[in-house]
Amino acid sequence: MKPRVAFFDFSGCEGCQLDALNLTPEELFDLIAVVDIVNFREAMTECSEDYDIAFVEGSITRESEIPRLQKIRRQAKVLVALGACACIGGINCLKNHMSMEEALKIVYSKDAKYYDTIPARPLSAVIPVDYYVRGCPPITSELLKMVKALLLGKKPDIPNYPVCVECKMAGNVCVFERAMFCLGPVTRAGCSAICVNSGRHCWGCRGLVDEPNVNSEKEILKKHGLTVEQTLEKFKIYDTYTEAAK
Amino acid sequence: MPKNRVLIVDDEAIVRESIRAWLEGAGYEVATAETGEEALDMIDKKDFSVMVMDLRLPGESGIGVLQRVKAKKPQIKSVIITPYPSAETLAQAKELGVIDYLIKPLVLDDLEKLIIETLDSMAKEPTIKEPKAVPVKPGVVAALKLFTITYEGLKSLVESLMLEMEVVGVKAKQGKYVYDKLSSVSELCLDYDVTVLTPTKYLLPAKETLLKFKTGGAQFESVVESKSRALIGVHPDDINAIALLDEVFMKINPDPNYIARRKNTLIISVDCIHPSPKSFAPSMGTRLAESGFDLLLTDIGTGYVVTIDSQKGTELLNKYAMPKPVTGEEITRQKVVRDEALGRYHIALDVPKERLLKLLYDNYENPYWESRSKTCLNCGSCVMVCPTCFCFDVQDEVALNMKEGERFRRWDGCMLVDFAKVATGENFRHDKASRFRHRIFRKGKYILEKYGMPGCVGCGRCAIACLAEIASPAEAFNAITESSRAKEETIRILREARDQTELYLPRSAHLMKVRNLGAKEKVFDFKFVDGKPLGQRPGQFVEVSIPGIGEAPISVSSSPTRDDVFQLAIRKVGSLTTATDDLKEGAAVGIRGPYGNGFPLEALQGKDLLFLCAGIGLFPLRSLIQYVLDKRDSFGKVNILSGARTPTEMMFTDEQAEWSKRPDVEYLATVDKADANWKGNVGVITTLIPKVKIDPRKTMAVVVGPPVMYRFAIIELKKANLPDENIILSLERRMKCGVGKCGHCQINGVYVCQEGPVFSLAQLRSLREAL
Repeated sequence: MKPRVAFFDFSGCEGCQLDALNLTPEELFDLIAVVDIVNFREAMTECSEDYDIAFVEGSITRESEIPRLQKIRRQAKVLVALGACACIGGINCLKNHMSMEEALKIVYSKDAKYYDTIPARPLSAVIPVDYYVRGCPPITSELLKMVKALLLGKKPDIPNYPVCVECKMAGNVCVFERAMFCLGPVTRAGCSAICVNSGRHCWGCRGLVDEPNVNSEKEILKKHGLTVEQTLEKFKIYDTYTEAAK
Repeated sequence: MPKNRVLIVDDEAIVRESIRAWLEGAGYEVATAETGEEALDMIDKKDFSVMVMDLRLPGESGIGVLQRVKAKKPQIKSVIITPYPSAETLAQAKELGVIDYLIKPLVLDDLEKLIIETLDSMAKEPTIKEPKAVPVKPGVVAALKLFTITYEGLKSLVESLMLEMEVVGVKAKQGKYVYDKLSSVSELCLDYDVTVLTPTKYLLPAKETLLKFKTGGAQFESVVESKSRALIGVHPDDINAIALLDEVFMKINPDPNYIARRKNTLIISVDCIHPSPKSFAPSMGTRLAESGFDLLLTDIGTGYVVTIDSQKGTELLNKYAMPKPVTGEEITRQKVVRDEALGRYHIALDVPKERLLKLLYDNYENPYWESRSKTCLNCGSCVMVCPTCFCFDVQDEVALNMKEGERFRRWDGCMLVDFAKVATGENFRHDKASRFRHRIFRKGKYILEKYGMPGCVGCGRCAIACLAEIASPAEAFNAITESSRAKEETIRILREARDQTELYLPRSAHLMKVRNLGAKEKVFDFKFVDGKPLGQRPGQFVEVSIPGIGEAPISVSSSPTRDDVFQLAIRKVGSLTTATDDLKEGAAVGIRGPYGNGFPLEALQGKDLLFLCAGIGLFPLRSLIQYVLDKRDSFGKVNILSGARTPTEMMFTDEQAEWSKRPDVEYLATVDKADANWKGNVGVITTLIPKVKIDPRKTMAVVVGPPVMYRFAIIELKKANLPDENIILSLERRMKCGVGKCGHCQINGVYVCQEGPVFSLAQLRSLREAL
């Protein structure tokens, strides 16, 4: 029997789900030949609560999301966090730098009283997560790689080295040598340095590697002309939930 | 069969004699002449196969001599030496049967090669009297492999190549230079400093498929891909890097993927005129390349001097570039251009590269590795941009249909955190310092030992790529050279402070006190007659001498932190120790030393310590234990594991009892065999190790005991995941002179009395006689 796969979303822009749909027709046929997709709000109306693998998108920003996520965890044999919000809290965590009242007021103004919110957090702050498909948004091929690894029963090959490795492989001129700033040296690779390849810098959307030398990175940012505050701002965008932005 | 006879004609005695010495060594019969007349005279009397002649001779001109030689003995093959080869002279020389020429001043390597070639070509045909057609090479100039071409000539060569194959060249990109496919010859930049990535990426791509497979069985199929490609603009340092890769991938276990690409790659090298400020290629001997390319270009301002190193290169040049014979002036200009470029390098090694092996060997424990690697980002940039790094990872990737897939390799490197991590989770190079050191050791030592050429060509790319600015091997080599020099300087000052006549002269010390420790063991308190302290480090030893009996090495048992008295604990086993056993208080003995390295106090600082001593192993170790307890705040947890065969063989029992009572010391003791009074553990000392909680990252174990105990102690300590660097042993050897001369104490190449007696297990791994 084919494994049953479900997609769920929490707080986020749903771009990760869209990206998951960014398959060629051939890939789509290959995929449904090996798995049954039974729940995918973004793509289909049918839905089933009987599934083996759950891909969960979005971060947790409201109390009511917690029991819902816990229920998914109980049902799923394997739970995979999909995208930066689910994996590391993502940009939703920017609001954690202010009080929740203030955040509600900015977003909902006079209607703020009808809503509740809690500091944003990644899935792993609520339930155990088995695997991570990182990025904002994730690379579709990496999502497929995860599916294949799960089908094969092997540990997916998720790099634990920084973006610099893939950036060098791509033959890029270093972002710092082009008078820009980059979080590549501490950010987990796997994206093939897509942003630098297209002329930009690394924003850090895939989160930090396991042993990031954040202090050294901060020193390098400073050496290239940033103030301490500007340096921390760099990390805040995606790494607020980790120590790096503090 | 008569020997091939060689005649050397040169008015410079040094040239004559050096060629003679070499050729005679190679088994040829050699005669020499100072002038043309003398040479002609000798030719009349004897047969010669080859004549090596300087064209500028006193008296008759070289060309004149050649004419007369040809008239007399046309079978003689000549090699001429000339400072300024003009096309005219060379054409004349060729007419006269000259098969090759060399430029003065002589490059001895070239001369050797040429003479070997010439003689080899005639090895099967010993000197004969009948004239025979001389196998002239395709032109005198071709023999020397040098031409000139114009800039237009190169352009037409590249354009023609672009019709035949993919042409990759150096192009500008965002203010830097990269290797990339050329779409037009105008993109090519040949005067550049250094490229971001190395040309080796076309021989070992970042990712390449090795196998294709089908899932569900064991069906594999090799994939070897390559296409014809020309690499244009490769600097000589990278040519040297490719030579290393050739050695690695083409000699032992030849790698089909590499070989296919290599054979399909045409390389046009270009001399580096404006080197990168981070390059130190001259120090690594890679500034110039003599072979390993098809063509090598030197821009001399009026065009290129081209050196040819392959048949393919010759053909290309003749076909597309309209080569002209090189002139003497052009050769001089080439030399000037290269010399000017040499003046533009900013970084040099403080040691000759030949000394790197020993330098690194001596500096494995240098604190530099730890201190300098603190800012390392583990980003791998240094290894990704390195032309000599070739490590890779192998992975499987299945297609989404789950039926087939590929096994590919991808660049990997020892500076990445998980490089040495195994499936069980253990990481054999888990800290920055050991990764940092490993990389530099590969660059300066390991690769050189394994493949015969250094693992660094000095291109400086790593230094450019490293944001933390710590990656340059030159910086590392120079830093440890400096600390080595500082160390040598200290040793020199210490030595000079002592009168050199004192090397074997003992100083007189008085026995202040004797105390029995066991049936055959006593501890002696000595004090120098001149009142000076011994000045020992814990773990050092002295040579004790008694006139008429002799000398013996005895480890110092007391810490320098105690007082001016030093204690020697001695077991009565040989003649000297039998004599010391009889000594009464007030007696005088001779003392030389202290000698040896002692325990590595710097490496122990701040660490948790695990002392392991069996029997009289406590004698040397006691000095360290005392030292640590006297400076208790400088160290982490202290564990003392003490063992003896029987309770009566326990030494310094009073002191051990004190240790057991200290709240800041964990003390455990055991005996192999208990007696009625023994209340403690029974069993060999290694049975105590599992009782101690060891944090392998911050524990240093110091082990002293009999050799058999070392073997078992190491096994137990390795079970606790303690790295080799953290296991310290003191070895017993026959240290007769104490000053690294007599040779008795040697373990393989190491003098224990100087470099020991204390070693880390990591050091001992390479000393096969040690354990």
